[in-house]
Parts: sequence; C-alpha cells; structure tokens
Amino acid sequence: MKQEEELIKKYGKDPGMRVPEGYFAQLEKQVMQSLPDYPKHAPIRDLSRWQRMKPYVYLAAMFCGIWLMMKVFHSVTQPMSLSLDNPPEALVELLDGGVDYDSHYLPLYMGDYDMDEEELIMSYDNIEDFEKDFYSQM
Amino acid sequence: MAYKAPIDEKELIKQLQNEKTAHKAFETLLHTYSEPVYWQIRRMVTSHDDANDIVQNVFIKAWNNLHNFRGDAKLSTWLFKIAVNESINFLNKEKNRMQNTIGDNDDESALLKNLAADEFFDGDALQIELQEAIARLPEKQRLVFNMRYYDEMKYEDMSEVLGTSIGALKASYHHAVKKITEMLTS
Repeated sequence: MKQEEELIKKYGKDPGMRVPEGYFAQLEKQVMQSLPDYPKHAPIRDLSRWQRMKPYVYLAAMFCGIWLMMKVFHSVTQPMSLSLDNPPEALVELLDGGVDYDSHYLPLYMGDYDMDEEELIMSYDNIEDFEKDFYSQM
Repeated sequence: MAYKAPIDEKELIKQLQNEKTAHKAFETLLHTYSEPVYWQIRRMVTSHDDANDIVQNVFIKAWNNLHNFRGDAKLSTWLFKIAVNESINFLNKEKNRMQNTIGDNDDESALLKNLAADEFFDGDALQIELQEAIARLPEKQRLVFNMRYYDEMKYEDMSEVLGTSIGALKASYHHAVKKITEMLTS
C-alpha cells in the first residue's frame, strides 16, 4: 500500500514511547509476587445414570404432554364425525329395538286427543244418532 | 514486536495446568509475553503508568483463569484478547470519569493529555503529530492500526484476537491509513 509506505518513510515505526530502565524484569518480579494461590478447578462431579438421562426424560415428557394437549383440544373443537365406530345415539337405539313407538310417535299424530270424546262417540249405537245430536248442537 | 525465545506451547500449557509446575511455567509465560502485551496496551492507553497497572491485571487474570484455557487458541492470542478487553474497559472508564468531572467526552483529547503528561514519552514533533492522528481514529480502527503498523501482526492472528473477519480487518486498516494520511496532509 503506497500510503502506508509513505507513512513509514516519514514517521518510522517508533512511537516515541519509552519504559523505565529494567522495567520488564521488575514487572515480571512484581507479577510473580502478587500471584494468588493456584486457582482450584471446580470439581468435576461423576454424574449418575439418572442425572445423565434426566434432560432427555424431561424432554420426552414435555413432548408427550404437548401431544396429549393437542389431542384433547382436537377432540373438543372438532364436530363428531359419523362412522360405524361412532354411530349416532338414536340409530343405536333403533338397531337395538329399544325404541318405544307409542311414547315416541303416537302423541305426534294424536294431537290433543281426548279420551272422553271417544267414549262419547262409542256410546251411540249408530252414526246417524250421533250426527243428529252433533248438528243440533251447532 | 517479535516475541522472545520460541517456546513449546503445548508443553507450557500442560505445565500451566498442573499445580506443581504452574508457577515455574507462568514465569516462562510472563517472560515471553510481558513485553508484547505491555506494548499492545501502552499504544492503546498511551500512558506508562496506566499501561503498567493494566498489564499486571492482565497477567493476574490469566493466572486466575488458567483452568479455563483449553488450548484451542495460541497463548499469545488468549493474552492479547485479555489485554484488549482490559484496555477498552479502562478507556471507557476514563471516558466516563472525564465526562462526569469536566464534561469532556472526547477520547482523543484524553489520550493526548496522557501522552503529553507522560514522562516516558520522548517522541519528536513528527511522532506527536502521528500519535495525534492515531488518537483521532475510532477505537477499533486504532486497535487495528496499532497491531498492524507497529506490531506487524498477521491478519489471521488479529482476527482471532478481535473476533473480526480478515477481510473486515484489511478494510479497517486500509481506511485507518487513508484517514491518517488525510489528517496529516490537511
């Protein structure tokens, strides 16, 4: 580099900084005298098998937990799909023959059926007598 | 700055990590590296008294952390790293102290005051002129310039000490030389 060469040529490589006579010998002596005791290593503990395995077991447990949480969340939020493994309750009842037709379907067709009125009709011997009475009341 | 007698680093590291031989081995380490480490620090902080305090701290720190040195890097790289960190910490503390006492936030003026007041500086007008220009460089550029210009340190070694890529260091040195030349010619 041309600029670097010019700097070296003009200013040299001596920064003009000096040290006292015998400084480095004195420095070495001072440092050696002020050294503290030899630093003790932190003792390396012999880890048991469980201590070595612990992080991996914790990691596996964490993944199992996450998987379980996702499974629960999925089953709560997803609508129940129809399949042979998961048939609707009404279908199961029908197949089992446990449906009580009278209680389920008769009220639907009978409406407000009044048993007293039926008894009344049945008390006439023929329909003409009933019609006569019926129209006379209108 | 060339290091003193070449040493068998692997053997020295082994001795340093053995309590029985550590003291003697550390003496060898100190004898080999005290001078280059001192000059590295001195060029950063400029004052001999400050450099003297810092270099002692550097070697005490190295002693206290012998068990942390794994031998992946060279001993010199490890020591220079500690020296650079200690020098930067010192300069930051000085900057804060000057800012708090006299409101002076200028890195350059603090360094030049140190240089002017230092009884162990006997540079001529040209050397003062160059030191003034170096002091005006940003901290990292100043480090790179000193390591390359005065110590002729290899970029590979500088890269390990400063944790910067070789390309970035080359660019930084190039910019530093350019800035200094401009400052000195203006």
